Amino acid sequence: MAEYQTYEHDVLVIGAGGAGLRAAIEASAAGVSVGLVCKSLLGKAHTVMAEGGVAAAMANVDDRDNWRVHFSDTMRGGQYVNNWRMAELHAKEAPDRVRELEAWGAVFDRTKDGRILQRNFGGHKYPRLAHVGDRTGLEMIRTLQDHGIHQGIEVYMEVTVIGLLKDGERVTGAFAYEREHGRFRIFKAKAVILATGGIGRAYKITSNSWEGTGDGHALAYDAGAELIDMEFIQFHPTGMVYPPSVRGILVTEGVRGEGGILKNSEGRRFMFDDIPDNYKDQTADSPEEGWRYTQGDKNARRPPELLTRDHVARCIVREVKAGRGTPNGGVYLDIAWIKEKISNAPEHIKKKLPSMYHQFKQLADLDITEQPMEVGPTTHYIMGGIRVDAETQASTVPGLFAAGECAAGINGANRLGGNSLSDLLVFGKRAGEYAVEFAKEQTQGEINQSQIEEIKRRALEAFERTGSENPFHIQHDLQAMMQDLVGIVRNEDEMQRALVGIKELQERRKKISLTGNIDFNPSWHTALDLHNLLTVSEAITRAAIERKESRGGQYREDYSAKNAEFGKVNFTIKKEAGGNMQIERVPIPEMPAELKQIIEEMG
Amino acid sequence: MNEANVEKKRLTNPPQTVNISIKRREKLGAQQYTETFEIPYRKNLNVISALMEIRKNPVTKDGKQTTPPVWDMNCLEQVCGICTMVINGRVRQSCSALVDDLLLAAGGNTITLEPMSKFPNVRDLTVDRTPMFNHLKKVHAWVELDGTHDLGAGPRMAQEDVQERYAYSRCMTCGCCLEACPQYSDDNYIGPQAIAQVRLFNMHPSGKMNRDERLEALMEDDGITNCGNAQNCIQVCPMSIPLTRAIYETNREVTIHGLFGWLRK
Repeated sequence: MAEYQTYEHDVLVIGAGGAGLRAAIEASAAGVSVGLVCKSLLGKAHTVMAEGGVAAAMANVDDRDNWRVHFSDTMRGGQYVNNWRMAELHAKEAPDRVRELEAWGAVFDRTKDGRILQRNFGGHKYPRLAHVGDRTGLEMIRTLQDHGIHQGIEVYMEVTVIGLLKDGERVTGAFAYEREHGRFRIFKAKAVILATGGIGRAYKITSNSWEGTGDGHALAYDAGAELIDMEFIQFHPTGMVYPPSVRGILVTEGVRGEGGILKNSEGRRFMFDDIPDNYKDQTADSPEEGWRYTQGDKNARRPPELLTRDHVARCIVREVKAGRGTPNGGVYLDIAWIKEKISNAPEHIKKKLPSMYHQFKQLADLDITEQPMEVGPTTHYIMGGIRVDAETQASTVPGLFAAGECAAGINGANRLGGNSLSDLLVFGKRAGEYAVEFAKEQTQGEINQSQIEEIKRRALEAFERTGSENPFHIQHDLQAMMQDLVGIVRNEDEMQRALVGIKELQERRKKISLTGNIDFNPSWHTALDLHNLLTVSEAITRAAIERKESRGGQYREDYSAKNAEFGKVNFTIKKEAGGNMQIERVPIPEMPAELKQIIEEMG
Repeated sequence: MNEANVEKKRLTNPPQTVNISIKRREKLGAQQYTETFEIPYRKNLNVISALMEIRKNPVTKDGKQTTPPVWDMNCLEQVCGICTMVINGRVRQSCSALVDDLLLAAGGNTITLEPMSKFPNVRDLTVDRTPMFNHLKKVHAWVELDGTHDLGAGPRMAQEDVQERYAYSRCMTCGCCLEACPQYSDDNYIGPQAIAQVRLFNMHPSGKMNRDERLEALMEDDGITNCGNAQNCIQVCPMSIPLTRAIYETNREVTIHGLFGWLRK
């Protein structure tokens, strides 16, 4: 029997983005021993790329804002299939989490009277996003990293977890390998928190970093935990479409918040042509009113460019399909036009959107203060994920917690911009707090050697084979297929084809043959990622087939309307004893009268 | 965000193929060697897309089958700093290094990639950046809070003060400044990265409380006086952090603290 280096902690956090760091800080502050495992390096996680800001109803800019409005906006954005308790906790606790971050050293832009400045964002009724320039994610990661480094958190960088270990029903640790040397490691823990982020790399065009391969989703699923809402994927309406090397990279919603408008190739501001009924009385009816809104006029309503992301993304797809797209298959996003309205427009744009200016100049050779950008939808965020308890972030498996993008519930069918950074802080903290509570009641569980050997055997079998498959090619084919068949516009026929396709790719994965050794072998890493990507792809497809309606991040051309019956349920996914994927329809619990009333009042 | 970086030119007469010459190393301490790969030229190619092209089919220009080269990458938009390497002799992020620019500047059709030389070279183009986190620990780059105080409505701050702090807070611990610094080697000098963070945290309303401790950390042998004023750091910082200003201002504070600090004890 092989010996592996073993590390013991009270709480093990997997993933060092915003949620993982926040959870680790909380757990460590409670005085327990904390291990933090990250696939990449500390401070480089995908959170760093968040641009717009943190949503928190601090009411610094508009004193009409409060948690009730934020709650109601989040529920409306999520089309009411959210976990309402999570949405409530999130709205109530986000302001304190932002102020706490500031106390830890984060820098935020200020109002004239010196308070944290808040900006407009799609789906938020009032200016609500605390931000610094358009690099809020970097600020948050740097602050959390700096705050975490001295707390005695043991950080394991470049370590990838490939299986959770269980003692009976309870999760008691994780099995991992070091990317650098390929050595295997055992982590024993009384509680494990998954904070692994998203799944964007299952799609061809995505804003997600290279780490977004659904690891946490798959680890939890393999350990018997339930996933929920997997059909809901957010396609951000504005990713770069040109040049190809940067296709998918995000163009922040902040551009539209500062007055940027969307136009088709005929120069028409097409967003005015399709405003959903439930947003009609919140949306400007003239470009002039929309402009006033972006400039802070409290009596003006928001322009249709700031409608929810799912809607804007579909409108763009429709324009492109109708032949009114740009040469590179997008539409135009124009911020340069504001020079008609203000005298120092180029300076204003550079000041408000410095990294957008830089990004386009640098990567696309385009000056956004003079020319419109070409943009199109990009896979951005998964609302679905590990099913958790609202208060504690506990999954359905004892000892396993989840927070951030890999957990699910708060966002329902569609996430509002800015709600993910606040989600990380609010539920990262909660996960840390309750994982400690759980850990304190436990002793270290037993580690089962045969589980370890099985995980290891599966991880290494590709080295023993003489197959003909290359993992990069399989990944490429999966991404292309998910993009085409389970993308922004879906239908039964295509998704059934995708299920067949996923089966085939799973078979091809079994024929991967690897050469070389296991230290820092990118082909091997990709082969391991593929298991996760294929698992989440199957979950997404099955859930999307089951939800025979269109709602939020799920749009089906064969069921293009919302169906009230589906508004009462979520879909959960679980691995059944035989290893097959089992999908179940679960009713959404009734909302307390107090919350119902808030929603009725806010409209 | 140097303006010099922003000015882009395009090749008018691009070559058919581009040679990518990579300094490789199998593992920490192993012998370094060079392999050259040839890939077809495409418009708007950047160094990372070139590396991804090579990875799919790792065969050298001489037709030798080899292992895929290893590098780190993440955000692909120059905000995480993980893909930093030395490209044609200059340290920078490979995600924002466009092949056109590199060929224009260097002439010919070869691009050389090397790992940063001031950090332990883990494998091929990847390095161990732990020293930078140790620097942050050493200078107490955090705000001491135990979580018991009332957050209240938060402090008021002027936008102008925030502007200066924001300049320092953009640091993504990429390592460019340390790589370019002629004084920094074998971790003998704490370097611009940590000094700028001292400045940032000393400007924070409650971070100020640990000001003296930070300054004292900079008075040790590997401290701020090692700066030779070469000003390379500010030339290579991809986030345009005013590093020389941070060093200047902090050095002033350190000197005053060294002279009169004992009076406050």
